[in-house]
Amino acid sequence: MTLRLGPFKLPGLRRDSHKDDPYWDFFINTPAADLDNTVTELIRNAPPGNVFPTKADIHTPEITSSHVKGMAHYFGADLVGIVKLPAHNPSLSPLPPAAGGKIEEEYPFGVVCVVRAEYDPRTAPGIGGQVPVQNGLFITFVLSAWIRELGFRAKVAAETNGEKLAAVAGLGEINGAGRLVTLRYGADVHVADIILTDLPLAPDGSAREP
Amino acid sequence: MAVTLQKPAEQSTENTNGQANIPPPPYLGRSVRIVGPVVNVDMNQSPHPKNQRGELGKPLFNWYHNTVSKDPLTRVSAPNHFADRRHFLSTIINQATKGKVNPRKIEVPDAAAMSRHIKAVAHYMGADVVAIAQAHPSFLYAGSRYVQDGTAEDAYQETSPADLVKKFPYIIVATTAWDYNKLQAHRHLIGDAAYHISQIKGNMILKALEGYIKELGYTALRGVCTPQAAGVASGVGELGRNGLVINKTYGARIHMPDPILTDLPLVADQPVDNAVEDFCKICRKCANTCPTNSIPFGDKVVHNGIEKYKINWLTCYKLRPYVHDYWGSCLTCATVCPFTKPNVWWHSLATWSLRTCPIPARPALVHALKWIDDRFWGVARNNRVRWLGYDSGIKPGDQACTVAGCNASHEGKGPAKEVAGNVGYYAPLKENTNRFVKRDA
Repeated sequence: MTLRLGPFKLPGLRRDSHKDDPYWDFFINTPAADLDNTVTELIRNAPPGNVFPTKADIHTPEITSSHVKGMAHYFGADLVGIVKLPAHNPSLSPLPPAAGGKIEEEYPFGVVCVVRAEYDPRTAPGIGGQVPVQNGLFITFVLSAWIRELGFRAKVAAETNGEKLAAVAGLGEINGAGRLVTLRYGADVHVADIILTDLPLAPDGSAREP
Repeated sequence: MAVTLQKPAEQSTENTNGQANIPPPPYLGRSVRIVGPVVNVDMNQSPHPKNQRGELGKPLFNWYHNTVSKDPLTRVSAPNHFADRRHFLSTIINQATKGKVNPRKIEVPDAAAMSRHIKAVAHYMGADVVAIAQAHPSFLYAGSRYVQDGTAEDAYQETSPADLVKKFPYIIVATTAWDYNKLQAHRHLIGDAAYHISQIKGNMILKALEGYIKELGYTALRGVCTPQAAGVASGVGELGRNGLVINKTYGARIHMPDPILTDLPLVADQPVDNAVEDFCKICRKCANTCPTNSIPFGDKVVHNGIEKYKINWLTCYKLRPYVHDYWGSCLTCATVCPFTKPNVWWHSLATWSLRTCPIPARPALVHALKWIDDRFWGVARNNRVRWLGYDSGIKPGDQACTVAGCNASHEGKGPAKEVAGNVGYYAPLKENTNRFVKRDA
């Protein structure tokens, strides 16, 4: 946790506020004995709803992108990027090669949401360690539902190379270990599942020209 | 001086089942007092279940069951006004299978350490306010469990409230606050966004916290306790004239979601005195601005053995079908409350001065703070709020795109245009509610 002094914060000074908590390690590192006690599984397994039959009156792609990002930030995302999915460039595709570019044609854009992760969810299997995943799922669930209610297709793609796409969206760079490193939060981040959509958006970063 | 709405009865130590084992009435702070026997509230007689059964009239029944919001975000975030139920996260959460209690119970030799831990866990998950109350039978619903969507069945539904609190002596109250800036557009879709998004996030946090308590090896029951009682008893805040729990940091802009009743060894917090009692006696801002006159101007009354300000929830509720096109949740009383302010130094200073001021001197301080609030914040808020294409500067019924630089050809709206002024329009005006709300004078 970054030490905050009123409006100032000192990113170099970390304060472990849980070092005197005898149960914190259990919270972070002990996997749930019953998956029904976790929220992550039930959100992940929730079926997507229908696309609203009438398309909402949307703005220009640039403005719509800013609204999508604003909505994601409001839902709790710390960083948000938009990429154009490279239908004809398999090396950049977030989807398994078997998809063959078809999904990218149906869903030309990807929305990448990144949340802070004090603990890496890949190595911290406890309910606490999975809180960044939980937060990411909350964001992608509500955001994708909102896009469908706007009258456009949106689906949450769990099996995607999110970190790679986040880098393409300009949210950070991939380090030697294959992890996303962001300017603001370093490697203490979790990339949520990608939202694939046909909502007309304006991509960020290098994704403008994949 | 409180007025008694019901015939007072001798204070009894017998509960409704005739069991002589009820603990004495708990101290709930200065804002609310238990002064007589409390009959446990049947959750089926609370507003939403009554409306679900159609007992509040056709307009409300149709509004509840048969209306789909025009607003995409409301269709995602507000209960019952969705086009597709699967887009409403609370439905997914409420209908989920309940997890089992972990048979490998974590030993808790130090209840204070566990209390700190549970609060830290809830905050880590995203809760803004967390507190623990000592359970009391009067805090519990009678009979079945309260849940608006899905089920809340458990193995203890036949257990009496008195026996339940013996077995599960603590209530964990964890809640989220609404965004202050968006709330300024109350009676508007922007205010709805502040309310509903934090509400579904709170639902998720409580579900995760409930699951975590079970993973620790202890029981966590939901739909058992009245949230307001637990909120006041745990020191989350005090009960205001507007019927809302008012927190020292967030004021009335906090949800009071379904708390968790548990046998996890904890240490209960105590009710607080943030001078809400003193402020509400004088202020009456919520009563003055309520569009439906549902908030009393007078003194507290005794209702079901509890001395408190009693709002008229039915008239509050009845407004909703008539304003469905403009917003879903009124929120005026929460917004205008002087305690509802951003979490900044001057607000902390004001609440600190109230807390530390001797009680006899508080009325003078309240008058001074209310004058400042009226002078700088306003008696009623009508500021213009813009957020992600929403604009409260557009009059209800009108359509316009006011996003700067937008050159999309909006069908029916035309190209983006500049709307002058900084005035927000919030339907309905108070005088326009006369046709469906009876007033005393």
